[in-house]
Amino acid sequence: MSTHSNSRDQVLNYPVSPLAKRSGLKGAQRRIGLLMLIPAAAAFVLVILYPFGQALGLSMFEFTLQSIEPVFVGVDNFQAVLSSPEALQSFFITLIYVGCSTLGALVFGLGWALILNQPFRGRGTLRAMTLLPWVVPSTVSAFIWGWIFNSRYGVMNAFLLEIGAIDMPQAWLSTPEGAMLAVVLTRIWRAIPLFMAFFLAGLQNLDREQIDAARVDGASNWAILRDHILPHLRPVLMVVVILGAIGGLQDFDTIYALTGGGPVRATAVLSVEVYRRAFEQWDIGMASAIGVLWVATLVPPAIFYLRVLVKGNR
Amino acid sequence: MKRLTKALGTVAVIGSMGIGAVHAQDLSFMGYSYAEETARPSVEKIISGFEAASGLKVEPIGSAWGDMQKNLFLRARSKTLPDVVQISERWLPTFSALGLVDYNEVFGAETLSEIYAPEALAMGQIDGKQLALPLMSGSIGMVANKAVLDQAGIADMPTTIEEFEAALVAVRDNVPNSVPYAMATINPNSILLDYMIWTWTFGGRIIDDEGKVVVDSPESRAALEFMVGLMSDRLAAPEVDRPDARRLLAQNVSAFYIDAPQSRSFLRSFSGQGEAFDVNIQPIAVPVANEGDESKSIQWGHMIISFAQSNPPVADDANMKFVNYLADDAVQTQFPVELSALPGTLAARQNPAIADDAYLSAWAEFNQTPVMNEIGIWDNGAELTQIIGEEVQAALLGQKSSDDAIASMAGRLQASMDKLAN
Repeated sequence: MSTHSNSRDQVLNYPVSPLAKRSGLKGAQRRIGLLMLIPAAAAFVLVILYPFGQALGLSMFEFTLQSIEPVFVGVDNFQAVLSSPEALQSFFITLIYVGCSTLGALVFGLGWALILNQPFRGRGTLRAMTLLPWVVPSTVSAFIWGWIFNSRYGVMNAFLLEIGAIDMPQAWLSTPEGAMLAVVLTRIWRAIPLFMAFFLAGLQNLDREQIDAARVDGASNWAILRDHILPHLRPVLMVVVILGAIGGLQDFDTIYALTGGGPVRATAVLSVEVYRRAFEQWDIGMASAIGVLWVATLVPPAIFYLRVLVKGNR
Repeated sequence: MKRLTKALGTVAVIGSMGIGAVHAQDLSFMGYSYAEETARPSVEKIISGFEAASGLKVEPIGSAWGDMQKNLFLRARSKTLPDVVQISERWLPTFSALGLVDYNEVFGAETLSEIYAPEALAMGQIDGKQLALPLMSGSIGMVANKAVLDQAGIADMPTTIEEFEAALVAVRDNVPNSVPYAMATINPNSILLDYMIWTWTFGGRIIDDEGKVVVDSPESRAALEFMVGLMSDRLAAPEVDRPDARRLLAQNVSAFYIDAPQSRSFLRSFSGQGEAFDVNIQPIAVPVANEGDESKSIQWGHMIISFAQSNPPVADDANMKFVNYLADDAVQTQFPVELSALPGTLAARQNPAIADDAYLSAWAEFNQTPVMNEIGIWDNGAELTQIIGEEVQAALLGQKSSDDAIASMAGRLQASMDKLAN
């Protein structure tokens, strides 16, 4: 004990150079840290903060393509959005889309990760192939699924007719339920690789002996999943759900290429609604107002995600 | 210092090259045909012909059809308007606010009436001013596939709705996997044209000339109920857009659809048979509700607008010389024919190349009184189109009754027009 306190005293009483600044090494590190932060901060300001500020500003103007000068209207655009049944319907559709696609990707991603975590021949190849939907461009995915669901040439109709499940070809993309199912399935198909990779990484740290012991005690597969695997994957689960939800909220290209937001407005999620208002109807003010509200829906899961990350780092 | 001198020298050279490049062009010509792969060589032929004849240089600017309005307004905002622009006839009222050249003041109204066909010239008139001239004209009407009708045992083209429905039933029952009428059932832009034609056919209108929404009428309901009936009787199919319709006709699985005269070019291409497919293509008059009614079609044309190069604009301006050249027989007997449309000038229409073209002659015969698109002319045309498309589609897919769809359409259109008026 005394040896320890002596060495501490020696360190504290070590003669300091008169040129050394009061803030010392930590201060220098902090300055370098701030310096290194500048490129990322500049990129954030230029690419995210400034455009968002612009959009926020535009949302308070009546600004159509034909109007040479925007006219300030305050919160009128927000009031119009919140009183428009079509715009409110887009929020509801977005909720359904994000909820179903995230839940589906979670279930299938976890299931697939559990399968790929088992030792079997060709596992590495299968793991690599699983990434394919993630690598394929989103519009290509949309066209693949568009062809699967096509009423005249689609694989889905051909298969169902073959097994006798339907008497005549169905126009899947022409019903609200069918169109929503198609966009959700496409999203799930694209999201499974990401979900699976997260879960697989989490499963690598799972104590095999614990599972073996549970099996010896007679635990069923379901009990092992419920009592051992899921509690172990809880931090991963939270991150994956939040990331999946954010990804779903941002999704545009797949939906637009597959259904164009239709039939009628059945798949007109917020991103599609913003696109329509901005680039089809050229109502920049309204599009910005919906965009701002859309970002507002992204903020809670994003904050939650950051909190989980920060907690994890501590 | 040496480096600085070098750098300044380089900047000066590049600058002078840039200025030279600007001065090398005497006028700019913006159009959507130049952006289309199939039509681009035809536009290039026009430009090279003009350059050879006049010694003036033209800068061509391509813009996709769907982006033309947006691009022109953005150019107006940034004060980079082109000198001459190719537009769709329905955009003219919207563009008229940009300060277009009145061709009557440059060339004289009498001269223009001697050159251009009256109905084509009329498409470019607003409040007595001639703000656009026709590059080519035509209409949006009905096209039939004779091979499919032959297979269905239909010898005569239907002239009334009753005959039309009978023909569709025959096609459905005799041509396997067919879509008898390739009616547009997706994409609001396409649905609008089908609905508008049928509404007019049943004697209704959507929005009148004063901007009043008049769609909530028995005639408009009858038109929508007729379209819904076609769907429920499997005489039309879901998931059909205009490009799908063209392919269905080209594959001999559909008997009728609505399109512009350019239809022939598409069908030739999509059938893979080229001109050999022409024997199957037959323009017909849109069937009428009652014997003796006038067949309806929608006005369609490629128009030319200009922005003044001098104040006031004179015929000697480079862009006016180009506009004048576009009325030349060399252009009018080449460009419209290559795109399967009617020329805008009287001389070109009498030219054997046009007069002897059975398809174009038939098209002109069956679509003699096309009516202006009553939706596309409004500034909020895109929103109106979206509303009409959504409500018609909702009825076609059985999500709403025809009555509910029309009532909802009327309310939403009125709200949009009120917003426009304020």
